[in-house]
Amino acid sequence: MHAATTVHADHVHDHIHPAPEGFIRKYVFSTDHKVIAFQYFFVGLFFLFISGSFALLIRLQLFDPAGKFLSFDTYDSMFTMHGTVGVWLVVIPLVTGALGNFIMPLQIGARDVAFPWLNMLSFWLFPVAGLILFSSFFFMTPHAGWTEYPPISLSYGVGTALWCAAIICIGISSTLTGLNFTMTVVKLRAPGMTWTRMPLFTWATFATALVNMIATVALSAALLALFLAVVFNVPFFDPARGGAPVLYQHMFWFYSHPAVYIFILPAFGVISEVLPTFTRRPIFGYKVIAFSSLAIAILGFAVWAHHMFPSGISPWLQLPFMIITYAIGVPTGLKVFSWLATLWGGRIRFTTSMLYALGFLIAFTFGGITGIFLAAVPADLHEHGSYFVVGHFHYVVAGGAVLGFLAAVTYWFPKATGRMLNERLGKLGFWLFMIGLTGTFLPMHWLGLEGMPRRYASYTYFAATHPDAVFWNRVETFSAFFMAASIALLTINVVWSLWRGRVAGRNPWGARTLEWTIDSPPPYYNFKKIPIVFGRPYDYTEPLPYQNLDHDVDPYPAPTAASFPLPAPAGAG
Amino acid sequence: MAVSALNATHEAVDARYNDVDPVYAQTRDIRLTGFVLALGADCVLFSSFIFAYLYLRTSAPAWPPFVDGHQLPRLDTSFAALNSIVLFGSGVTMHYALENWKHLKKAAFNGWLIATIVLGALFLLGQAHEYLSAAMTWQGSSFGASFFTLTGMHGFHVFIGVIYLITLFIQANRGVYTGSKYFGLTAGTLYWHFVDVIWVFLFFLFYLW
Repeated sequence: MHAATTVHADHVHDHIHPAPEGFIRKYVFSTDHKVIAFQYFFVGLFFLFISGSFALLIRLQLFDPAGKFLSFDTYDSMFTMHGTVGVWLVVIPLVTGALGNFIMPLQIGARDVAFPWLNMLSFWLFPVAGLILFSSFFFMTPHAGWTEYPPISLSYGVGTALWCAAIICIGISSTLTGLNFTMTVVKLRAPGMTWTRMPLFTWATFATALVNMIATVALSAALLALFLAVVFNVPFFDPARGGAPVLYQHMFWFYSHPAVYIFILPAFGVISEVLPTFTRRPIFGYKVIAFSSLAIAILGFAVWAHHMFPSGISPWLQLPFMIITYAIGVPTGLKVFSWLATLWGGRIRFTTSMLYALGFLIAFTFGGITGIFLAAVPADLHEHGSYFVVGHFHYVVAGGAVLGFLAAVTYWFPKATGRMLNERLGKLGFWLFMIGLTGTFLPMHWLGLEGMPRRYASYTYFAATHPDAVFWNRVETFSAFFMAASIALLTINVVWSLWRGRVAGRNPWGARTLEWTIDSPPPYYNFKKIPIVFGRPYDYTEPLPYQNLDHDVDPYPAPTAASFPLPAPAGAG
Repeated sequence: MAVSALNATHEAVDARYNDVDPVYAQTRDIRLTGFVLALGADCVLFSSFIFAYLYLRTSAPAWPPFVDGHQLPRLDTSFAALNSIVLFGSGVTMHYALENWKHLKKAAFNGWLIATIVLGALFLLGQAHEYLSAAMTWQGSSFGASFFTLTGMHGFHVFIGVIYLITLFIQANRGVYTGSKYFGLTAGTLYWHFVDVIWVFLFFLFYLW
């Protein structure tokens, strides 16, 4: 490692801590944000395999309408665990813990996050939560779906209690990460980096951190209430003793609606970085994209009851929630149009990362539009609890958050490891994923509109009146394996490229944000001398808006030929 | 803004000393703001349960609710008012403890801090007395559920606060805080006032309403 040096003493930023010694301090209980990001990445990937295996079991069960593959009881615990692990142990840790931790401090020119020790604590709560959750397999698994509505959840006492404990644990981890990232962005930006000069991924991470900090505590409160109800028989949700089951839904969705913006906002940030780099054009509507992230984060707190239209809330509550939900479509649509305008007339280079970003644009827009259908009260009363919701949700999560995450992995992998990923394997993986995504989740929309209920272990009665259901469910099951193959291919690609990948160099894509001006992988201290920022990073015709004293950087970075196996299209600009 | 006002206080105190350390000053600034945000997040926890209480109370046909055909009695406001005075008094003593620290009056600081710890413990005893003599149970009704959960969470915060203050007392007398470097004491004071403010809301919601 590099020798630790104190370069200047005139500014507090210039104090460099010595690098830690020994395996444990360096890789296990590390306080370095980059190591913690890798820890989140590998543990999150491990849980992704588990959650994905549960999904494949669910699909195998639905291959046949009679549902003979698993027992109905096992099936219930499978879809519960698939949702729980997918939401809390895969997507949120990967997009905030792994991506946010690695990229955000580098993009703002900081040496680490504001509270490095707290960051380590946040990470270690995450595998502990996983252990608590999976220990339920030894006693009784939770059965009531990832939302765990009472009264059903109350009849699976131990399972629900362990579920609550695990999710409260990961909730505390999220809250601390949110607090940490908020403070990092507010206090540790490099000199000259004003709010409107921040890279867009950092903007997205900042908006996510605010939601994480506030909303996740509300989730912990809801689950604490459920925990007390299960373990101590406290009657929050028991109508016989003055409680109300709908109260849980209010408390739960007050978090869990903002939670979907915790999934998707970092992906928005990733797309806003990837598109300008591979079109060689400034991002269209910088301020619109930046402030719409904040608008989405704020509006996201005022829409939770649209998950509860059929739950018996009063009609005068339904109308405002419907209207505010529509209103969220406005900043989201502004973002999509800004991205399209960024593509317009650009010299598009179809790298793996760019393909994932373009796939995101298609899949996320589709998932967003079906969300508008669901926000309409009359339509929702029909679609709620059907496969339409499952299709919509997976288009936004697998087609939005996961595609955004894959775009980020393929984009920042060279920076994080110093090696290029294999483009050919990457592109094959992309097409497998897109085919799998479409085949698995698109048929769910019309099956849902026809009335196929979600969460049923067998659909014999539905198939009797809708013979096409069997065909489409088999298509879904086959397609799910395409997605599994794609993730397997990504894993192989990552392992192979770590070992044999081409050396990346500092800036293989010709990108312009601050992290590309330092070595790959970044040294322990990130920046020897904290850079000074003069402008926004997206104007490709201008010299770099940084004064970076660590080493000479190309003021007009262009993509290196080695990183683009395909020739750039001629005359496209 | 409250946070910048607190930082200004820090800087004013810094001016009295010649041991000002820029690294400490910057981390103190970050830690203070972070601590205030953490307390804000804690507010959300209480707000969620207060929302639950309001939801259950406003949807109940009568309040206090009926259990087995009998209406529950109202809570004993006069005793709780006495107990509240104890807690708010501890906020005042904590304020004087920190002010004396800032003016280098170590003995007075110790006295006021011990008074705060004693008052906090007294409040917890009063709370225990109220729990033991309550006419309802945690499991019996939505009133009991909200009351015991919310005041229990608050009591737990007070309990943590008392331990926190005892730790601060030990640390201060061992010389952990020197000159202008006393962030722990500021944080402890903030936490203690936060617990007071939460009680204002709970007292209104359960005893006065």
